[in-house]
Amino acid sequence: MRSLVRAPWALALGASVTLVLAACGGGGDEGSGESSDDPIVVGISLPLTGDFSEPGKGVQEGYEAWAKITNDKGGLLGRQIELKILDDQSNADRVVADYEQLIGSDQVDLVVGPFSTRLVVPSARVAQEYGMLFVEPAGAAAEVFDQGFKNLFYAAPAVADDHYNHLAEHLLALPAGQKPATVAYAAMDDPFAQGTAYGLKKKLEAGGVKTVVDEVYPPNTTDFGSIAAKIAAAKPDMVVGGSQYQDGVNLIVALQQLNYQPKLAAFSTAPTSPEFAKAIGNKTEGILSPTGYSQDAPYPSNKEFVEKFTAQFGKAPEEDQANGYTTGQVVAAAVQAAGCAEQGACQQKMIDWLHANKVETVVGPLSWDATGKPQGAHMIQQWVGNDIRIVLPADAKETDLVYPKPAW
Amino acid sequence: MPSGALLVQSIILGLLLGGLYALLAAGLTLYFGIMRVVMIAHSAFLILAAYLAWWTNSRLGVDPLLSMVVTVPLFFGAGVLLQRGLLSRLRPATLTMMSVLITFAIALIIEGLLGYAFSGTQRRIQLGYGTAGFELFGARVAVVKLIAFALAAVSLAGLYVLMKRTQFGWALRATIQHRDAARLVGIDTERTAGFGFGLGLATAAVGGTALSLDTTIYPSLHWHWIGPLMAIIVVGGLGSVPGAAAAALLLGLAQSLLQIPMGATWAQTVFYVALFATLAVRPQGFFGGRLAQRF
Repeated sequence: MRSLVRAPWALALGASVTLVLAACGGGGDEGSGESSDDPIVVGISLPLTGDFSEPGKGVQEGYEAWAKITNDKGGLLGRQIELKILDDQSNADRVVADYEQLIGSDQVDLVVGPFSTRLVVPSARVAQEYGMLFVEPAGAAAEVFDQGFKNLFYAAPAVADDHYNHLAEHLLALPAGQKPATVAYAAMDDPFAQGTAYGLKKKLEAGGVKTVVDEVYPPNTTDFGSIAAKIAAAKPDMVVGGSQYQDGVNLIVALQQLNYQPKLAAFSTAPTSPEFAKAIGNKTEGILSPTGYSQDAPYPSNKEFVEKFTAQFGKAPEEDQANGYTTGQVVAAAVQAAGCAEQGACQQKMIDWLHANKVETVVGPLSWDATGKPQGAHMIQQWVGNDIRIVLPADAKETDLVYPKPAW
Repeated sequence: MPSGALLVQSIILGLLLGGLYALLAAGLTLYFGIMRVVMIAHSAFLILAAYLAWWTNSRLGVDPLLSMVVTVPLFFGAGVLLQRGLLSRLRPATLTMMSVLITFAIALIIEGLLGYAFSGTQRRIQLGYGTAGFELFGARVAVVKLIAFALAAVSLAGLYVLMKRTQFGWALRATIQHRDAARLVGIDTERTAGFGFGLGLATAAVGGTALSLDTTIYPSLHWHWIGPLMAIIVVGGLGSVPGAAAAALLLGLAQSLLQIPMGATWAQTVFYVALFATLAVRPQGFFGGRLAQRF
């Protein structure tokens, strides 16, 4: 009984303490006088916890590497770069609140994007309302570019549908006898993974290559035996997987278990992962994959990036890190061209400049159409020996495409 | 029209898959039989066992099957402790309901700890015989799938013999059938239930190891498994191990064959269609178990 009587007192006490604390906290960091010595504050919200925490942390490292490398060289316009990173917990409501806070109350000078389509779309809308330039590292699905954003730029070579463009061109240019005649497609029911496979499918079908299997599987599929059986029974010349990671690995193993030997096998995402070769027991021979980034790519700033990133983090950068870094490079180019970095009219100046110009980055030269869609295609890599090498396009290749591929 | 070879291949894949389902579902139906406990954490324990098998293989370099020497007794002990320390303390009137909440919490804890210990990176055991196989009636049988099936067959047969031929098995079945009557004839039902629960969790150790041979694992994988497994034990008749095994084989086969005309997305709804049909037409399940009638 006693505790019941006491409860209201405890509540009242708690409430008043909270009020006092809130009052104290109020008058903290207000006011932000701009001067040329102030750092350029870049506001970012990233999924550091939750579903996208792994890639989110990767992108964060990319941003941090960009800030450090740029600051070590004297900063941008003579000002140091300061990153202000919030954690959106992979939550779309949270990401909106984060960017409103960053732009509205924290008065950051620039904002750059979070990770994944699901979070890029709502946050780009906030940036648009405030008239901010919004360069983003990871929103490759078609819906990002259907929203009518005028401030958005995707800092990567290509959207999902265009990943395989170099491969499609190469295959369709082969003489009639060598061209693969039949293809099987298996794609995850996911806008990105499906986009890669269907982008290639559309181009090959237009070029007269027949589709014999077209399977879509839900993201939670764990057993690929039956899909593999369907593909193996149709005996196509080529198999294309619109995969993320585990599904790609499981499907390849299931195909190998059925002893199906295609002339060409192309899978998105999975083959470029560092765990891939180990996961499928090194039976990687000849597998193709589009990639937005390679440590070996011959672009001028890439060598510096790989070197300094490795020194800073003790490991080589992967695609997520490179995407974050590329985003930084694009913003930096816009800042330098506009000669300013603050909210207001300066943002529109940078947006206009990016729409009209090409930027050299670690993933190659980037340019955009009016919706912010990049105009390039991905490099194509192939497992040759025990290493994954760039084979297409011709001007970036490390070795020749092996076709038909050896048995896996 | 699917070719004959594809049909044979799909039937073989379906049976192998069904065997694995049977093993994974066996523990789940036992818990319910013994204690009316809905054990949401069963599949989390499966993934935990799979991780231990992967760890054994990648760190110690030995065959993942050897991990069972440790995990089976370990899981048995954990099951007894879980039952004695946690589940037996729930009030009988709300046992089924509260067990869902408690085991849900346990599943979350296991998932969190796995993520903490092994990170969210997706893992796969690398086996020399991972893609090996042989021809049978013009279809190919993968060795790893056959091992998983054999593990399922051996453990389910062992479970069956244990339940039918040993004194402990009789006591366990008596406890399942009528707890008060079992107590009247002198069975220590509390202890029996604890061991029964341990037995269920021990099957999770075997099942998880079997699963790890041919699957890429990650901490949240267990959510994909719990739904189909729950459907299997309801269709099979709650509390009936042979029922669960029959339902698992049938549903595994149906899933595999339906994938030919319908594709993967619709084929996996077979579990839930079967679940609805069972609840609507024959709530006590199709293959045994009179238990569900009483609820």
